[in-house]
Formats: sequence, C-alpha cells, structure tokens
Amino acid sequence: MLPKPLIEKVIEKALSRGADFAELFVENQYQSNITLNDSKVKQSIVGRDYGAGIRVIYGSLAIYAYTNDLQEASLLAAADAVSKAAKSDCRVKALDLTTLAYKNLHPYQIMANDIAKKEKIDLLLNIDKHARAYSKLITQADLGIYERMQHVLIANSEGVFVEDDRHYSRIRVTSIAEKNGEKQTGSESPGGLIGYEFFRGLDLEDLGMKASQIAVTMLEADYAPSGKFPAIIDNGFGGVIFHEACGHGLETTSVAKGVSVFSDQLGKQIANPVVTAIDDGTMPNMWGSENVDDEGMPTKRTVLIENGILKSFMVDRIGSQKTGYEKTGSGRRESYKYAPASRMRNTFIAPGKSKLDELISSIDYGIYAKKMGGGSVQPGTGNFNFAVAEGYMVRNGKIAEPVRGMTLIGNGPAVLHKISMVADNIDYAAGMCGSVSGSVPTSVGQPAIKIDDIVVGGRKES
Amino acid sequence: MYSKEFEKIFKIAKDKADDVEIMLSVGKSFRVRVHEQEIESFDYADDKGIGIRIIREGRVGYAYTEEFSDDAFEMIVNEAVENSKYLEDEGVVLLDGYPDAEMNLDIYNPELDEVDIEEKIRQTKDLERIAYAFDKRVFSVSHCIYGDGFHYTRIANTRGLNKEYKANLATMFISVIVQDGEDKQSYADYIATRDFRDIDPEQLARCTVNKAIELLNPKSIAPGTYPVVFDNSSMSSMLATFSSIFSSKRAQEGQSLLAGKHGEVVANHHVTIIDDALYHGGHSSRPFDYEGYPSQKTTLIEKGKLKSLLYNTQTAAKEGRESTGNGSRSYKGNLNVSPSNLYMTPGKVNRDALFAKHDKVIEIVSLAGLHSGANDISGDFSLSAEGFLYEKGIKKHAIQQFTISGNFLDMLKNVELIANDFRFSLGSVGSSSTLVAKLSISN
Repeated sequence: MLPKPLIEKVIEKALSRGADFAELFVENQYQSNITLNDSKVKQSIVGRDYGAGIRVIYGSLAIYAYTNDLQEASLLAAADAVSKAAKSDCRVKALDLTTLAYKNLHPYQIMANDIAKKEKIDLLLNIDKHARAYSKLITQADLGIYERMQHVLIANSEGVFVEDDRHYSRIRVTSIAEKNGEKQTGSESPGGLIGYEFFRGLDLEDLGMKASQIAVTMLEADYAPSGKFPAIIDNGFGGVIFHEACGHGLETTSVAKGVSVFSDQLGKQIANPVVTAIDDGTMPNMWGSENVDDEGMPTKRTVLIENGILKSFMVDRIGSQKTGYEKTGSGRRESYKYAPASRMRNTFIAPGKSKLDELISSIDYGIYAKKMGGGSVQPGTGNFNFAVAEGYMVRNGKIAEPVRGMTLIGNGPAVLHKISMVADNIDYAAGMCGSVSGSVPTSVGQPAIKIDDIVVGGRKES
Repeated sequence: MYSKEFEKIFKIAKDKADDVEIMLSVGKSFRVRVHEQEIESFDYADDKGIGIRIIREGRVGYAYTEEFSDDAFEMIVNEAVENSKYLEDEGVVLLDGYPDAEMNLDIYNPELDEVDIEEKIRQTKDLERIAYAFDKRVFSVSHCIYGDGFHYTRIANTRGLNKEYKANLATMFISVIVQDGEDKQSYADYIATRDFRDIDPEQLARCTVNKAIELLNPKSIAPGTYPVVFDNSSMSSMLATFSSIFSSKRAQEGQSLLAGKHGEVVANHHVTIIDDALYHGGHSSRPFDYEGYPSQKTTLIEKGKLKSLLYNTQTAAKEGRESTGNGSRSYKGNLNVSPSNLYMTPGKVNRDALFAKHDKVIEIVSLAGLHSGANDISGDFSLSAEGFLYEKGIKKHAIQQFTISGNFLDMLKNVELIANDFRFSLGSVGSSSTLVAKLSISN
C-alpha cells in the first residue's frame, strides 16, 4: 500500500519529539451493500474507504490523528502534529521494520467484486420468496447483502510491519408480519470472515422461513408478564447476555481506569462454577475472528473465566501499559478513523453437560428466550439490558405460549452467579458491537443456560 | 473547496451518465480526554469523502470514495453506472437547480475555530477536578471529554445546482460513577454550543454529580401500571428513537406506524411535533438538505393530528407533493429521509405540576437499551430505565433499575400534560418533561 521507506519516515517523524511509541495504521477498503425491499432492489452502493491513522504514546498520553490524504507531505504533517504533544527533542534510532509472518487462519476463495451483482440480487430474491411464502401474514421483507474487503497495514516503532486482508460477508433478512394494523418483525443475519462462498453454502429457504416464523409467532403472541422469574436463554445469539453482562467489563478500556465492576476481581470466583467463558479470535472464518489485531499482534484464544474464576481480561497495548497484564491481541477498531481499544472477538460460554430439556423441565413458571435481540451495559455499575426477539412462557417444565415485548434487565456480577445450569448445545451468532473504537464485528455464543431469576419487563396488565 | 475534483468527476461522467450529482463532505475535528488530571488522549481527525448519484436512462446509481485520485473517480463513476442497471426504485429521480436558501442560520462561529488548545484542555481538566471535589461519593469520573468539529458540505449537479455551507460545534461530556456503601450509580450529561464562552464546567460537573447522587440507594417497587413522567432528556430519547415513524420513505415501504394516517388523530391534543431545519442556531440546522433542496419548518403533528411526514423529492413525487427538504444522505449512502431539528413544543405548566397529578408518579431520568428494546416498526418498547418514585407530588426515593414497556403511539395518545422546561437535550431533538397516564413497570 505504502512503500516501507515512507512508513519508516512517518514513524520516525512521529517519534521525533521523544514519544515512547508510534504506530501507523493504513486501511484501504472496498464495501458493497445491496438491499431489497418490496422484492425490489432499493440500494446498491459500492465505495472505497481509504485513510491512515497515526498514534503516538507518550507516557500515559495517547495521541491519535487520521487523514485520508496519503500523500507523503500530508502523512508527514500528521506525524508532525501528533509528535508535538511530546516535550523534548530527541534522536530517533533508525527504524528497521520487519515483516511479521503469521499463518492465515481464515482463508477465503471468492472475492466480493468477482461476483456479478445479478447473482447477489438473485440470491436475495430467492430468500425473499421463501420469507414471503411462509405465511400470508408476511407483508414485507427487508433484505441486505453486505460485503467488505478490508486491507490493513500496521507498522510501529518496535519494528512491527504487518498486512492483512479481511474479507467479510454477511446477509440480513427481516420479515414483517401484519394483522389488524399490528406489526411484528423477525430477523436472521448470519455472517463470517470469509469470501463469497459463504453465501453459496447457506440454506436460503431455511433462512427466509426462520425470519418469517419469528415474525408470525410474535404476531400471535400475547404481551409478556412483568416481574422476576427463572429464565432459560437458548444458544446462539443468547450469548449476548454474557457479552453485555460481563464481556464489556473485562475489556481493559474500563478495567484500567478502575471503572469496571470486575477491575479488582482477577483470580476470584465471579461466576457460578458451571461457567467457563472464552474470547477467541482464532476460530476459522468466524465473524469476529482476525489473523492479527489492529495493533499488529497475532490474535489469540483467551480464557476469560474458568469454572467461575476470573482468569484474564481482554488487553490491548494501552491497557497492558496501564494494568501490567500481557496483551491478548484484543486491540481492535472500526476503521482508520478510530484509535484501537480492547474489544471482544468471538466471545462465548463454553458448553456444559446438561441437556436443554433438563433446563426447561427444572422450571415451574418462567420464561424461555429462544432468540435474543441486542442489549447494552453500563460498565461502571454492571447494569445491563437486552431484548428478547422470540420468547415463550415456561409452565410446569414445558415450553408454553409465545410472549412478546420482553426486555431482561439485571446486574452483571449478580447474574453471573445465578447461571445455575449450562447445556451442551453450543452455537454462535454474528453481531456488530459498538464502543469507544467504533463498531466492530463480533460473535456471541453459548449453549442454553438457566438463570435462577431475572427481571422481565413486559407490559401485560396484571 | 475541491472545485477541481468536481470538474474532473463531471468530465468523466459526461459520456457515461445523463445526469450527475456530486456530494462532498469535509470534516475536521479535535477531541481531548482527561483522566485523573492527566490528558489521556488527543484525537485529530481530518476527513473527506465524495458520493455521487448518477442518472442513466431514467435509473439511479450510487458510489463513493474517500480516495481523491483520477483512478478512484473513474471507479466510482463506473460503479455507479453499473449499480444503476439494477436499482428498481420506481420513483422518478429528480435533479434540479432548486432556489437559493436561507443562509443566515448562525451555524458557524469562526471564533470557535480560533480557541486556544490550552484553553480547551484547561476547561476539561476543570470539569473533572470539580466533579471529584464536589462530593465524596464520586467514585470515578469515567469519561471527561471535550471535542469540537467543523464540517463543510458541497452539493452540485448537472442541472446547475452548486451550493455549499459550513458549520461547527463544540461539546463537553462527562460521566460519573458515585458510590455509597455497596451501591454504585452513574449518570452522564453534556453541553453543546458554538460559543466557547457558554462552556461552563462547574455547572455541568455539579448537575451531573447531583443527578448521580440522587440515584443512590434505590428501592424496588411493585411491578404494575403507573403514571410516568419522562424528564426532558429521556422524552427526547424516546422521540429520537421513534423518529423514523415520520419518514415518508419508511411509510411507503410499509414500515411506519403513521402510514396512511394523514389527517387522523394519532396523539393527545397536547402533542405538537415539529421538524425545523431553519431553527436559529440549531445543531442540525442547514440552509438546504442533501439534495440541495431549500430547508423549511414542517409541522408533523399539530394538537394530536397528523399533518405531514418528512419527504425528499423522490418520496414526495410518489405522492404528488413537494419535498419538505428532509433529503438526507452521507456520502457513503443512498438518498434517505431524516429529521433535522425535531422537537415537541413545550407546555405551559411548571414541571412540579406533572407530579401532583396523581398519588404515585414515576419519573424517568435515563433510559438504556433503546437500540434493542424499541421496535420502530411495531412501536413496541421495553426499556431499561432509571428514575424516582413520587408520592403526592413529593420525591420519595430512587427506584432500582427497572423496565418500562408500552407502545410509542399509545404513549403519545396517553400524554396527559407537558411542562415548560423545554430543552434540546439530545443535540437536535428537543422535548419538555412529559406526563404519560400509564405505562407498565417491572423491577
């Protein structure tokens, strides 16, 4: 992308006033987004994102500047600007960048721009057909195919030089069911760090039907009750509970400042012993995977919680500097427009020994969240919330009628102790996670879990 | 700015497309974060992007680039032409010269661009210092940030349109965590202005810490249906979350609750909602929209009755009406419809009057889960909330994190009273404290 001598010059310039560390991140990205609505192509846009970010660390101060002018003069001007926060002049050792070798864990075969638009549109139309065929109640389907080929170059004053190609493929279908003026939605949105072959491997009929099935079920559903009940959260996107209730609090971004409720809990029993949780960037072609993180470190598998005991945080460079813990390859960012921060990759609760049936039969009256929506957390208090996209009542150990409009709230540290059963049916789901360094692809995952009690916010009048 | 680039793109597209529109967005911004009286980070941003919209044989195509080179310009024209072959937006796409627009909106203050960086840092450090010093229960100032930014927009097309404007804004943000015994609570607030002299760290720190302290030692309440007061900022959050119901595009796609309800009563007679892109000094004020169409003030709901949705030229043409100047688009995206400065007009009573209306009233001062627990297609919401219990008009105690559930349209119909404490609390979305007769609460 940029010649090595220029990169060296930029980093040397950034260091020239005595900074401890300097880093250059260059990105060149092709994005394509096609959307369908009313069974017609409503959007087809292609673009190129292009820019560079320069980061300088001086003591505990981080300075970041980005530009999308990659001419030598502009890059040097940006490097000069960030260098100015450091106070003294100093001689900079000549930099010798060494290319970092790594194994490509996420090979892909077909590039997004090698496939004709017609094929992508036909694929969406095919899903659209199946989504609408599911029921007469389906009045609309909203679909999208999103592809992103991100080329990154990361070089720093420690001599690291690394490039990576990340090919993301994701598809989204939202079905809308309507009856008597009321509307309900159901969505599916699988994705991977993989080429176009991902779409060819999907069961399109199943995808369209699943989205519609949720919308129709929820349309027929009564409102959820309010109160505190035992709950089963099923696999896949259910992992959002761990992501929100705990994951964000284990990022050094909040740990280093002592803001996180988990800051001083390393080595302590923070969860029920049935809980083991992992954050893993190495899983082949998974949506939240990488080869190297956005600070140029090869990605890793990090055990966060083992049998309920907090084993590790997710640590980026700044976090490592502030806390003293080893980096875990967790420095991530949305684009060159963001300085990296410690972020999750594929984060999941490891499978346990119970069966889903055992979890359900252990509840007399409670709820079963088959599919979760998104959520959020306040890391300082640990208070989280998340929405249930497809939910049911559990009565006398059996799944009963569907209920809608449910949000679950609680406190992260408290709820981790209330996870009393973990099933063996692990599955994962793709999502976008927004935080200080922008919106990054992450997977959540878990087998079905039982929470002894959680606050359910419904609107059924009692 | 960038006239040469515009000419180049027009030239490349000349033989490939019938009409072309070019939209340029240029931004510069600065941000400083302070942690424990040290500067934690400086961020400087310098970005730009060009998005094009071409018309060829009556069809529209889009593409964008952040790289400004001949190759990249060639690429976007070719991609836009290719994209135009597949887009099936049946509406007529219009590019036109459009009349000149009101330019005197006070959205750019040259003095703000001249503020000394040391002064910005000093104020940010003051903000954190005052917050810590204000009360022993301040456990942590989790974020303490000052930022300012400048943006420039230029739109030109082959029908003679060539318009530009610039705007700037400064913001100061703080979030604090307070602790009393085992209990921790947090609260965040910010100020945004174009006049640096308006930035008052003392006031912001005190208000934010006070709000957080009030939330300490919460008690639970019985789940059930209660009258609820949204304070002005949480009411703005609700309005912002459901603002897409006013989009004509969403309505035409069958995704708005207000589709086909023109002239009908959709809210209580207390409710008047306005979109005004010409609001003097407003955060989202602009002389023209992203099609170059002149801005205007549009009444959406007047005394409960639906008067209009928001339109761009394309969605307006489908219904045989005029655009409301709400065409929106980033250089990376398609033409869409978005509100500008969206607000609910204030009522006449003092906010205390809202709490005196019922024996028990719950006040909501902060909401979470808006992106996941609110469905703008069905209008249903179930959200995490923080707030207080009032009895006979008197504030009794904070309530442990709870949920509120309901439907946005039902809620608008159940608005019982609106106070006079209007504030643009969410940048460009404004409301006053609002009493809603009943909502479901769980905790």
